[in-house]
Amino acid sequence: MMATDDGPDIWTVTITIPKDVDRDDAGRTFEIEVSADETILAAARREGVWLPADCQQGWCTTCAGRVVDGEVTHPHARRYHDEDREAGFALLCTARPRSDVTVVTDQYDELLAFRAKHDRPPGNAKFNDD
Amino acid sequence: MSDDKTHAAGGVEPGDTSKRVGMEVIRERGVDPEELREKLIDAIGAEFTTYYYYTNLRMHLAGEEDYKEITEDARLEDRAHFELVVPRVYELEGSLPNDIRDFADRASCPDAEVPTPMDDEGGFDTSELEVEDILEVLLEAERCAIRTWSEICDMTREADPRTYDMAQRILNEEIDHEAWFIELLSKERDDEINPAGHFARGEPGDAPYSTNNRFNDSA
Ligand code: FES
Ligand SMILES: [Fe+2]
Ligand SMILES: [Fe+2]
Repeated sequence: MMATDDGPDIWTVTITIPKDVDRDDAGRTFEIEVSADETILAAARREGVWLPADCQQGWCTTCAGRVVDGEVTHPHARRYHDEDREAGFALLCTARPRSDVTVVTDQYDELLAFRAKHDRPPGNAKFNDD
Repeated sequence: MSDDKTHAAGGVEPGDTSKRVGMEVIRERGVDPEELREKLIDAIGAEFTTYYYYTNLRMHLAGEEDYKEITEDARLEDRAHFELVVPRVYELEGSLPNDIRDFADRASCPDAEVPTPMDDEGGFDTSELEVEDILEVLLEAERCAIRTWSEICDMTREADPRTYDMAQRILNEEIDHEAWFIELLSKERDDEINPAGHFARGEPGDAPYSTNNRFNDSA
């Protein structure tokens, strides 16, 4: 953490892009500074790391990631459950760091399957017509 | 011209009706038409749910006739957005979910509920419902729509001009809608003048950009 006299704490967020995603930065790792009142998605896009997102309101799950180390909070997420958190999922569009954090991006398919297993939307709604 | 049939493209055999060139040209340009189609269903799910939720939000702006009129425009234009894109889903060999609950569950934007709990009789507890809270729900719904249609523009740019054209038409109106609710919320909540800067629409729900397929007068 970087100490700041006034203003929110600033944390180091390590962003790992999986190797198998269909983007030029597949397999790369980025380290960015994110203040406690900023979302990981907004900070990443500001730094030129283009992560997937849609609603940016913690609802659609397009931005799903996995927290592998550290702590995040989702004060404004519209659809985020305790069991998501317990399983390590985060919605990066609304996730704010509460410590130095390491996240793996592009976990949409994984979260969709997890939600379906727990009978939570959008899980089964996306599988029913396949 | 030779006698060879030259109208086949992207590995579609002449006369083969099991495939669509209209989809293969998208695939050839690097976009997965099935993935795009599913994203479109999520997006019009949100248009449809907001059309519903705005009905409720609008009527709870009781006595605020100017706010109701603007909300009615936004509401009817969301229905126009839904209807503009439904045919595209079918062209891409998709369908609307048979169960409306699935449609709502997969909507890409949050439910825009009236920001108040229900009372004991099953009605809305309106005792502490504030106009500014309703305007904030409306504003955030428009912001979600802007993000969704921007994503779809990104997905289709240089690969699928037909879907891109629809998405950019809708995006034009969503940006109008955000400006309207910024103006109204600024005035109502902060007593601040923050003009949308727009000229008046025509009839309610005019949808000047997105109603390009008006097949009959009831549409
Ligand atoms: S972008 Fe929709 S949940 Fe994060
Ligand atoms: Fe809309
Ligand atoms: Fe809108």
